[in-house]
Amino acid sequence: MMKKSFKKVLALVMVLIMALSAAGCSRNETKQTKSSGDSAATKAPEDKTETGSDEVSETGEALPGWQQNAEDKVDLTWYINFSWFTTPWGENLVSKTISEETGVNIKFIVPAGNEAEKLNSLIASDSLPDLVTLGWYEPQVGDIIEDGLVYPLDELAEQYDPYWFKVADDGRIGWFTQKDGHIYGYPNSSFSPSDYEKYDNISSNQTFLVRKDIYEAIGSPDMTTPEGFKAAVKAAKEQFPEVNGQPLIPIGAHEFATNGNNSFDNYLCNFLAVPYEKNGEFNDRFTDPELVRWLKTFRELGEEGYLADDIFIDKRAQMEEKIAQGRYFCMLYQRTDLQSQQKILYANDPNSIYMAVDGPKNSKGDAYTLPGTGINGWTLTMISKNCDRPDRAIQLFSYLMSEHGQHMTWLGVEGVTWDYVDGVETMKPEIKELLTTDRTEYDKLYGADSAYWMFQDNAMALKWAVETPNPLGQMERWTYPYIITTSPYEITLEAGSKEADIQSKVDNEWGVVLPKLLLADNEAEFDTIWAEFMQKRKDWGIDNVLETKTNLMNEAKQKLGIK
Amino acid sequence: MAKTVRPEKQYALKKWWNQKYLQFMVIPGIIWMLLFNYVPMGGIVIAFKKFKITRPIADAPWVGLQYFKEFFQDSNFSDIMINTLGISLLKLFIGFPLPIIFALLINEIRGTRFKKISQTISYLPHFLSWVVLGGILTTWLAKDGVINDFFVTVGLLKEPVSFLGQPKYFWGMALITDTWKELGWSAIIYLAAISGVDQQIYEAATVDGASKLQKILFITLPSITGTIALMLILQISGLLNSNFDQILILKNQINVSRSQVIDTYVYQVGMTMGKYSYATAVGLFKAVIALMLLLIANKSSKKLLGRSLY
Repeated sequence: MMKKSFKKVLALVMVLIMALSAAGCSRNETKQTKSSGDSAATKAPEDKTETGSDEVSETGEALPGWQQNAEDKVDLTWYINFSWFTTPWGENLVSKTISEETGVNIKFIVPAGNEAEKLNSLIASDSLPDLVTLGWYEPQVGDIIEDGLVYPLDELAEQYDPYWFKVADDGRIGWFTQKDGHIYGYPNSSFSPSDYEKYDNISSNQTFLVRKDIYEAIGSPDMTTPEGFKAAVKAAKEQFPEVNGQPLIPIGAHEFATNGNNSFDNYLCNFLAVPYEKNGEFNDRFTDPELVRWLKTFRELGEEGYLADDIFIDKRAQMEEKIAQGRYFCMLYQRTDLQSQQKILYANDPNSIYMAVDGPKNSKGDAYTLPGTGINGWTLTMISKNCDRPDRAIQLFSYLMSEHGQHMTWLGVEGVTWDYVDGVETMKPEIKELLTTDRTEYDKLYGADSAYWMFQDNAMALKWAVETPNPLGQMERWTYPYIITTSPYEITLEAGSKEADIQSKVDNEWGVVLPKLLLADNEAEFDTIWAEFMQKRKDWGIDNVLETKTNLMNEAKQKLGIK
Repeated sequence: MAKTVRPEKQYALKKWWNQKYLQFMVIPGIIWMLLFNYVPMGGIVIAFKKFKITRPIADAPWVGLQYFKEFFQDSNFSDIMINTLGISLLKLFIGFPLPIIFALLINEIRGTRFKKISQTISYLPHFLSWVVLGGILTTWLAKDGVINDFFVTVGLLKEPVSFLGQPKYFWGMALITDTWKELGWSAIIYLAAISGVDQQIYEAATVDGASKLQKILFITLPSITGTIALMLILQISGLLNSNFDQILILKNQINVSRSQVIDTYVYQVGMTMGKYSYATAVGLFKAVIALMLLLIANKSSKKLLGRSLY
């Protein structure tokens, strides 16, 4: 009897567990991401912060909020909209120290694959993590703000941490304040136009790179004109048909995406100094005759077999492998995207590295116009309304934005990773050595040097910046003279608007047309494809889009105080 | 009437109660299905609404068939339809019979050891995901990859060919790689059906002097028609499902004109561009066609072979 009833009970329990786990699943999940399992700590925020604001009113001065709460441990979830970001929190020196000083522990949430897919599903299921970091240019930014999914930072700061106003940059606040008078996200890597006058060591990411030993072996030719470029590529292929037993790829490029290819459209335009505006109107840069001229040059090289199929097919992973093998002769590429591969090449043979040289120029030989980061910077970090501890989140913001926090994320802990040498913050030599040789290990142990870049303030960091050592430094320094600020042209069309729809249609078509242009059998075919594309754009209504962009550009200029 | 019904009802209830433990075990499955298969169907309404992900579905204004019209007028529409149908029909006409032939051949192998080995080798690729295979295949199929090396050395090709770099090869690549990956695995169900055939029939045929081929044609094949019909109906209903993972992985910007299919398009527009309503409309259009195809296939199979799903 005992046995039988036990079985019955067991069966019933099993069934109940199964049913409940199935039914409760979806709801539980959203809750969990909301509170991130800190329900115990969540109880207290109200009185805690009240004492916090009391202190402020007593002394009459804004004390950093984070200093008062280090004892009260809180977990926050932080969404980073970049799948390559893999540095965890809590294992290295910098993140441990930040957690100790602020009492905030972070759990990063990073998309495993496509970023937009992850972000859109987080928004659609109302499960945005506590903090959210996205590129300012993402169309979702507008949606999130408009539909009230994030807290206004200024209100949070007033309520919980007036110190925030002390560390926030007025120029950036002005730029990012929305029409309703509130600011919802704080940028990183943001430079105001005046910074460009102040500093002469602001760098761009965009470089024209060649493999050093091959370039020197063919006599360091001039590659700024189509003729010189073609001759150099041919010479390289002729003298070095193979690299370590595998065919040399004469011209490298970024991955071909559904909306084009950074190397052949954006970067090429910047190298050709294609203007962003013409006669007070927003210029449609990809249609510039200078760009066409160079695309035709690439097409001719393709016709003669110097554009390898690999560049059209390879995904990022394959490209990184080929860069590490040094298989590309030259490429228009983002220098920060090949740092680790460059170090591998350098370790194998210091002569096989990539170096920046003068690349394509326009027919007038104008200097390059390489964009440095503008006032928009790179990312925006926001506090989602799902965050149960906005008080602690805004205090963490203040911490990271303050000079103390910047010191922490750039240099690490005083005495451990750096010391004052003649009054200048200097990284210890053995730590710098590890940084230049093994970034992964460095991040695992220390995690400074902007491993946590979400609030990196490049303008502030220039104060204690040291020259980047080779093999990376040469690529960086090469860009200094060509840097320009493009703040007024960094505009986004309103998501879901008619113009944005047209733009995305045009972008997708460009993604299809660009490889076709480069692979066209002859110039006539190129011209036909080009003309068809131009007609299509016109039919879809590109003119309206450009008009809207001109308006947005003028608005931006007004905000920045540029006439 | 009531009198006759009641005992039956009681009997059913009693029977149900007698199996209560088994019945309880079904409940989680039913709940799961309602929750994850039926409730989400409500979301289809966004195909008819101008939906924005930051707001609830109920708030979105109705737009009727606007998104369907947009899809039909889309400049990619004809390419996408041609590719979807082309790849699927290729897979139906070539990819479908191959496992049957393969199963018949395997069945004829005498040595059990060799039979086992060839079967195992044939279904090994099935266990690799397309994501992993994608990396392997792009390397193999590249101009300097092993496959080109092989063909050039053997003399079948004069010059290496970029298999994934030309639109015209894409359908073939899709068919071959899919068949290579799934051939052994799909054959299992037919092998199972074949093993169920009564051995006495074969013995009788041998006595009557039937050749091997005759036995295959007149005994084995007719015995597994049921299985074949069933698989065919399922295959036809999935005609517009052109294996999302495979195509997404092998697709690139130069073969896109022959590789973009409905599924990858829905993914691109919906998930990466965030146009949910439009993507849902496209997906719904596909589902409706699939349902019609299933009904037609089922009906014709019922008429011709006397066998059907229901």
